Amino acid sequence: MIAIIDYGLGNIRAFANILKNLKAPHIVARRKQDLSEATKIILPGVGAFDHAMERLNASGMRETLDDLVLRHKKPVLGICVGMQILGRSSAEGKLPGLGWIDGDVRSLRDDGLHLKDLLPHMGWNQIRVDQDSELLEGLKEAPEFYFLHSYYFKCNIPADIFAEVDYGGYFPCVVQAGNVYGVQFHPEKSHHNGVRLLKNFWELGSC
Amino acid sequence: MLRSRIIPCLLVRNNGLVKTIKFTDEKYVGDPINAVRIFNEKEVDELVVLDIDASVQGRGPDFKMIGDLAAECRMPLCYGGGITSAQDARHIMSLGVEKVALSSAIIQRPDLIGEIAEEVGRQSVVAVLDVRLDRAGHYSVWTHNGKTETGLNPVALAKDFESRGVGEIVVNSIDGDGTMKGYDLELCRQIREAVRVPMTVLGGAGSLKDLQTVIQKHGPIGVSAGSLFVFKGIYRAVLINYPSHADRERIQQGQLP
Amino acid sequence: MRPYQICINCVMDTTDSQIVFDEKGVCDHCNNFYESTLPNWHTDEQGLNELMPMVERIKRDGQGKDFDCILGMSGGIDSSYLTYLAKEKLGLRPLVFHVDGGWNSQIAVNNIEMLVDKLGLDLYTQVIDWEEMRDLQLAFFKASVPFIDIPQDHAFFATMYQFAEKYKIKYILTGANYSTECVKNPMEWIYFGTDTRMIRDIHRQFGQRPLVKFPLSNILRHKIYLRYLKGIRVVMPLNHMPYDKEEAMKLLETKFGWQRYPQKHFESRFTRFYEGYWLPTKFGYDTRRVQYSSLILTNQMTREAALKALQNPAYDAETLHQDFEFIATKLGITEEELTSYLHLPNKTYRDYKSRLNTFKWGARAMKFLGMERVVKR
Repeated sequence: MIAIIDYGLGNIRAFANILKNLKAPHIVARRKQDLSEATKIILPGVGAFDHAMERLNASGMRETLDDLVLRHKKPVLGICVGMQILGRSSAEGKLPGLGWIDGDVRSLRDDGLHLKDLLPHMGWNQIRVDQDSELLEGLKEAPEFYFLHSYYFKCNIPADIFAEVDYGGYFPCVVQAGNVYGVQFHPEKSHHNGVRLLKNFWELGSC
Repeated sequence: MLRSRIIPCLLVRNNGLVKTIKFTDEKYVGDPINAVRIFNEKEVDELVVLDIDASVQGRGPDFKMIGDLAAECRMPLCYGGGITSAQDARHIMSLGVEKVALSSAIIQRPDLIGEIAEEVGRQSVVAVLDVRLDRAGHYSVWTHNGKTETGLNPVALAKDFESRGVGEIVVNSIDGDGTMKGYDLELCRQIREAVRVPMTVLGGAGSLKDLQTVIQKHGPIGVSAGSLFVFKGIYRAVLINYPSHADRERIQQGQLP
Repeated sequence: MRPYQICINCVMDTTDSQIVFDEKGVCDHCNNFYESTLPNWHTDEQGLNELMPMVERIKRDGQGKDFDCILGMSGGIDSSYLTYLAKEKLGLRPLVFHVDGGWNSQIAVNNIEMLVDKLGLDLYTQVIDWEEMRDLQLAFFKASVPFIDIPQDHAFFATMYQFAEKYKIKYILTGANYSTECVKNPMEWIYFGTDTRMIRDIHRQFGQRPLVKFPLSNILRHKIYLRYLKGIRVVMPLNHMPYDKEEAMKLLETKFGWQRYPQKHFESRFTRFYEGYWLPTKFGYDTRRVQYSSLILTNQMTREAALKALQNPAYDAETLHQDFEFIATKLGITEEELTSYLHLPNKTYRDYKSRLNTFKWGARAMKFLGMERVVKR
């Protein structure tokens, strides 16, 4: 059972629609009771880092999520800001992140990562695969996904970086540490590439 | 490399899709859900849907329709029309929409931009400027379906909106709307040089070459069109169309024959 | 209760309650074909000789005009192949005419675009007001009759005739053909799309909004007035030359990047749902029997293959579920409501007002006068 965390941010419906079409059992989780049967977690997110952390902490699900992810090692997929909050902190805000992956969120602008000074990074961009990832199984060599963000995730452990994207310079867009996965782009809005990635996430762990 | 976005723009009136010429002379195009579904299957980059009567009629968005349309989209959807509060914006986003487009509401009350950005993030706030060239040859912004003249200059307005936290600016040439004679390149240039947020041009695209021209000059940029993707041929036959993947590549590379 | 019987020649059976078998066990659909249709159906030189004078006339009458005929195009294989034929082989200059009933699939739209662009033809579309179409389709569901695709059928043909009349066009080309349609759907299954009286009665009883923009056109007007007094002719070129469906598809794929449909009638998602699920489930009518029987009679399919195919449902469960939901959403109703229509007691065309007598009389007259070969029954 995949739990899509609804803490007030992110395109929950889009995920639910895709999982429904894939016939993947799923639940939209709003309270900790909804997580009782979760075997995998999707953590969407849009907007600002602090806002996301505040809402997640206030949702009543924070403890259960920590438990599921850190103790029970359930696979979790963070998307966009949902990926950024997997880190320890963000230059965008003051609150600490979930700390599930060793990394911090930084500003694209401050680090000179942009084209012609245009931010947010908005549109379809090709990713460069650095290491084979189960999430990208079955996709062609340099697949495109839809990005919409102004901050990015900087990994402290290079082995956690599985794919990068070039926007005035390369930065991580697919990260993984053990059972914790994060993608900076929006698979729920990236047509067949995104659907395939979500299918791969759903099928993680089965042969 | 970030690709320029090619974006069909659909206008909704009375639950039906319509297409206008210079904001009048409307032609019925059909059922919005089917059109959106077809665009989705064609894997378009992004889609904009605008309810052109909401503001004029002083009513809010049709949430049911928005939800139904969003359910069909595996690409980002931007919705505009009748949004006047951060609450509206949040509700719309919760229905599965990525971005909300605002025009008259933020011209009347610019603080709304910040309020909505606070709720849903600035990347999701899109300002739409409908622009006409006045008799003196100056660009001027209009609202309410091209019926109310604001007297404001689009460049100044765009800069102000940028400073207030808007994530994207769509500049729409009313004079070009539905004419299929090409984008207003001068207007495009002025806005492009004035702001550092993503921008999309709309109004006048008549061929894939028009898209290519703007992309080659100003990419990465959004190029949006209504008539081009909805009509075909001299009889303006309604037929949903969109460049093939091969043509999209050519457009990005500036290699259309 | 009539005992079950299936034709030994084709695959039509007693789900067509009016079917008649001869002493050998061959049905009247087959016998009609062999006796009436086949002897008069020429796809060789004779066929061309029958067609070419008409083609020449069309060209002559069209001189100096932007186009010399209109061609009804759905994006399906018949009308697509016809478009190619009309332009490339017959040298005609058709205006490609498409009626959008709100259910076009992406493949259909794409196929129309491919053909129109690559053949350099002009396109005209008529978009039916969706709110009215939807209301009318729902009315037909509520009427609990088998022929719920009449709104689309009627709109298609009424629009074309109205256009032809308005712009004084004398020739309409259609992709109707014996090759894949020599066996017709029994009237009990799919009633005439041209009976305006039936449409109006059903709308009056179950419709919720007035039919204002929807094209309603009286059959008498078309078959008699427009045809004989105004001289509008319907031409079916596919009957005058060899037409093998598989070969036609291959040719279009190669030449134009035309795409096959994953299932029959996928040009319109509604029609696919209707024929693949609604008709068989609610009424026990499987239109594949009709389609396959036509192909058997024209040697494009073996009876064995047809029988085998009929053993599987037309729809796999997964696609069906998706389509059921899609149809309900698009019609603006819940899935429960759609299911409730499924369970209404079945009605037939006899339960509503009709012009059936006029049709029967007219059809017999036409057959007698040699104007029509096979009469729908």
